[in-house]
Amino acid sequence: MSLLVGAWTVGLILSLLALGVFISFRVFKFPDITTEGSITVGAATAAVLLVKGVPAPLATIAGAVAGAIAGALTGVLHTKFGINGLLSGIIVMTALYSVNLRIMGQSNIPLLNVPTLATDAEHLGRALFGVESIAILSWSLAVRDALTLLLSVVTIVLIGTSLYLFLRTHLGTAMRSTGDNDQMMRALGVNVGNMLILGLALANGLVGLSGALLAQYQGFADVQMGIGMVVWGLASVIIGEALVGTQQLGYVVVAAVMGSVLFRLLVAVALRAGLSPNDLKLITAGFVFAALVLPNAVKGLRSAGGRQHA
Amino acid sequence: MLEARAIAKTFHGGTANEVRALRGVDLELEAGSFVIVIGMNGSGKSTLLNAVAGTFFVDSGTIRLAGHDVTGWPEHKRARFIGRVFQNPFSGTAADMSIAENLALAARRGKVRGLSWALPRRFRGTLQECVRSLGMGLEDRLDNAIGSLSGGQRQALTLLMATWVKPELLLLDEHTAALDPKSAEQVIRLSEEVIARDRLTTLMVTHSMQQATALGDRLIMMYQGRVLHDFRGAEKQRLRPEDLLARFEEVRRTEQLDESAANMLRRMYV
Repeated sequence: MSLLVGAWTVGLILSLLALGVFISFRVFKFPDITTEGSITVGAATAAVLLVKGVPAPLATIAGAVAGAIAGALTGVLHTKFGINGLLSGIIVMTALYSVNLRIMGQSNIPLLNVPTLATDAEHLGRALFGVESIAILSWSLAVRDALTLLLSVVTIVLIGTSLYLFLRTHLGTAMRSTGDNDQMMRALGVNVGNMLILGLALANGLVGLSGALLAQYQGFADVQMGIGMVVWGLASVIIGEALVGTQQLGYVVVAAVMGSVLFRLLVAVALRAGLSPNDLKLITAGFVFAALVLPNAVKGLRSAGGRQHA
Repeated sequence: MLEARAIAKTFHGGTANEVRALRGVDLELEAGSFVIVIGMNGSGKSTLLNAVAGTFFVDSGTIRLAGHDVTGWPEHKRARFIGRVFQNPFSGTAADMSIAENLALAARRGKVRGLSWALPRRFRGTLQECVRSLGMGLEDRLDNAIGSLSGGQRQALTLLMATWVKPELLLLDEHTAALDPKSAEQVIRLSEEVIARDRLTTLMVTHSMQQATALGDRLIMMYQGRVLHDFRGAEKQRLRPEDLLARFEEVRRTEQLDESAANMLRRMYV
């Protein structure tokens, strides 16, 4: 049970990463690798501030801001200096590795003895229930885990709704159409370069926030924690789109969240069944490859079959 | 309204592919005039429109628009004054977004895009009325993605978008060239209507001699990056497609003459 609750919580926290990947890859069609550095910079910033005694909500927001700055930097490299998009992300991501080590002063910061959002949740739970664990359907569940999950749900619902509403404002609509047709948007008076910078800041802000929350949930920030996160986010987005579809804007936001949770649950079950954690990234990459190639392959087979019949 | 002075533009300068697309064009448009631009492929018609729109900066010369020197302004800043319809129906609309959203985007041309709703309820009534005026039955499909529409429908919507906020200058770049004859006729009729109704200053490039003679109050013919002929007033009204074809034939003969002269010189001296 606690394994499942943990998978849900991590899935929800990483759904912020999925939303960030959705904005850069889907809305802007920009292959943004900054993600791998910005999740770590979010975690590192939050962790260092927490150790220094900064209140957890403030430290979390600072993590998001750090991620946003990283994203904006990638946007500036691409639009103002004309560097290829993929390369801009790689440059910033590489630089962030050193920056993260500088921020943390070491490669790993444990958060076991400092107050975090997770311990806040624990205190809140004790105050509410007055016990260490509660029974749900004969399973005993630690109050700390239950409250962390609840807080994650509330956070994701709030952020997902805000993002959905933002994308329907004049600014948000302009952002979506910039990714769709930038020539048209220039003709309609939009500075598409600045729009991309703003969009990447938003995307990586969400990723940074995800990192800050993840560090607090798992109890440490680590300089390696960003590796493979782009593919992880893409896998979540793809699963979500397959489940929910992309017909409406609301669906797309829900899809990213659902995809992330489901993917995390699948991984938890697979690990439980004996999958080696070392193979996880290989399998994730293989999954994304299949998800990208199979729909076209199936389409190709179908049209080939159609031709034979005709 | 528009005042272009000696504008010149060379692409791929200094390479084997060097193209001198504009070689000193002077053009002045009075407010409310409807000017047709014709010319053979590579004569610089589209380059002229793009130079005015700010797709690139000119190498020399100045462009003034609505009282501002816009020579150094980027494209998105000039868009405050300019409405545009492109040749490619895919260029003027965002395919993944709905008809309503596309129009909402156009309604903010040259304005700040803030955090208010792009599609408030009271805006939908206005939208429906304007889209109905196109006479294409699209008013009931406002939430459909633009990508599901035909080229003619997309071009009609692009025209509506370009003129939603009344532009100081309307640029039409062969906007019916990619359409079937029936849609082309429909889009031309809509263009005429909106230009007459709002008395829009218009610069329209076309390949159709029929459109060139039937529309507009002035016609310029471009050749090798320069304005070759400028017909106005009664002279423009008298023009027939045959007259224009005769002018093109003249140009072609001059070109041939140049070529045969060059060949003759080559034989003699090389």
